[in-house]
Amino acid sequence: MNPYLAGVGLGLVLLLAFVLMGRGLGASGAFSTIVAVIVDAVAPAHAQANEFYLGYLENGYGSPFKSFLMFEVIGVLVGGFISGALAGRVKRTVERGPRMSAKGRIGLAILGGTMMGFGAKLAGGCTSGQGLSGGAVLGLGSWTFMIMVFVGGYAGAYFLRREWR
Amino acid sequence: MNRADPRAWGINQKLAFLAIALGALALIGSPSPGGAVTINTQELADIVESEVDHVTVEELADWVVQDRADYRLLDVRDPESYARYHIPTAESVELRDLHGYPLYHNEKIVIYSDGGIHSAQAWFLLRAEGFAGAYILLGGLDAWKDAILFPELPADATPDEVASFESRRAVSELFGGKPRTGGGGTANPAEIPLPKVKPPAAVAAPRARKKHHKEGC
Amino acid sequence: MIAPFYKYGLFGDEVSLILAAVIGVGFGFFLERAGFGSSRKLAAQFYFTDMAVFKVMFSAIVTAMLGLFYLSWAGLVDISMVYVSPTYLLPQLIGGLVLGLGFIVGGYCPGTSVVGISTGRLDAVAFGGGVFSGIFVYGELYPWLADFVKSTSMGRVTLDSWLGVDVGMVVFAVVVMAVLGFWGATTVERKLARREAEA
Repeated sequence: MNPYLAGVGLGLVLLLAFVLMGRGLGASGAFSTIVAVIVDAVAPAHAQANEFYLGYLENGYGSPFKSFLMFEVIGVLVGGFISGALAGRVKRTVERGPRMSAKGRIGLAILGGTMMGFGAKLAGGCTSGQGLSGGAVLGLGSWTFMIMVFVGGYAGAYFLRREWR
Repeated sequence: MNRADPRAWGINQKLAFLAIALGALALIGSPSPGGAVTINTQELADIVESEVDHVTVEELADWVVQDRADYRLLDVRDPESYARYHIPTAESVELRDLHGYPLYHNEKIVIYSDGGIHSAQAWFLLRAEGFAGAYILLGGLDAWKDAILFPELPADATPDEVASFESRRAVSELFGGKPRTGGGGTANPAEIPLPKVKPPAAVAAPRARKKHHKEGC
Repeated sequence: MIAPFYKYGLFGDEVSLILAAVIGVGFGFFLERAGFGSSRKLAAQFYFTDMAVFKVMFSAIVTAMLGLFYLSWAGLVDISMVYVSPTYLLPQLIGGLVLGLGFIVGGYCPGTSVVGISTGRLDAVAFGGGVFSGIFVYGELYPWLADFVKSTSMGRVTLDSWLGVDVGMVVFAVVVMAVLGFWGATTVERKLARREAEA
């Protein structure tokens, strides 16, 4: 699909979230909730003494799973699949560049994910939350964040070219 | 496809034009300032008259002891006063921070200040914004001190009054207060040193009541 | 003003969770439409061969930004009730950098990784696992990181108040920058494509 049109579609969904809920989209928060729940199940005293985990465990709804982002991310799974199915893009595969092995790619994916998870919490969001949503409301921190994301990506591109090109 | 005519406007060019037009138009516009509300003064006056706008200190003490999670307690005094003493489970919110403060329209919101002026003003602000569950703590912190923390047993009390005093004594001690006996003329509640905020044993995790939904990513 | 509807009490928590799922479906749908279920497509942004990430992100931002501006101007949306995340300049600067590096290493971001998982990408699954560990590391280190993470706080500051100009001006500037950016991105793409075709 034309990227601009896809972007407009995305923007309208984001606008809908603002108008309905007064908040934007997000993703990393759902991941954080799951981590917090697992830590709490394994070591409740430790989790509940930690302000970070506590924020996700006690969100005021009763169950930490009853959070906006958890339900939203489930929707993302469904929506992504529908679009992929319609376009014939659903495929069990390991995406990688021509010079990369599947195993290597998986390893880098894990590493990249770890960096992302850490960076997202440091910044208080990921590209969907801080980037799109924060960007649309013109938050200073969000725009700073977004610019740095592009800087980081381009800075690393040369070193990772074996992975993608 | 109109590839034949390079001057024809494809969808991208149309989108770009639309965006720039809307952006330029924005230069002369301005978003409305937040906080504009419509108030039905008759309705508010009726609520005040029928006296369904307040909660008594006794009721509040009950809720705290029962560790209920269906209310919010807002202390609208300045933060220093809040730090010195506040009713257990209270949150410190100054009037200027009230607009946009995370509250839900379907929960009970009890507001208190020292007496009743600021709490009444806060009540009005919240009601104007559509919070139908806003209530004033009748008598404010002064009444809380007088009736809950330092309940008084007059010198010539009837047996009924003695019985009721005994039950209030238990509640008072739960909150770290000190019941007064010996009739009028004993220390003014305003001057008795206030207990450090000591929630009743039942209220182990006041954080649980913090219904602040995370709105970030 | 009647919106944001949830904050004006139009519906409660249960309904909001259902709406969250509906919104999520739209979110995932358009992310995939843009091709963002594929890490190769996402990474191509940083090699200048496919600037879709930039185009999609900023079209979305411009759309939502204009929408909010005009709805607020029309008095329908109470902009002061729309969540603006607080600015912690240094942590967000560094977090953004780390995230950008993680993006090129891992090939996804949390949102697109979910889309990748939904369309069968195993590397997206691996990435998601990585995200969990990254968050876990952060959580465990949090007691020592907390002071840094909450430093350089500027509150919920928006570009217009920071620059001291009208919102409309910032809106216009963002639109112009985005359109110029799109034109630039397309030019770079074409140049690179021509060079690769000739090679």
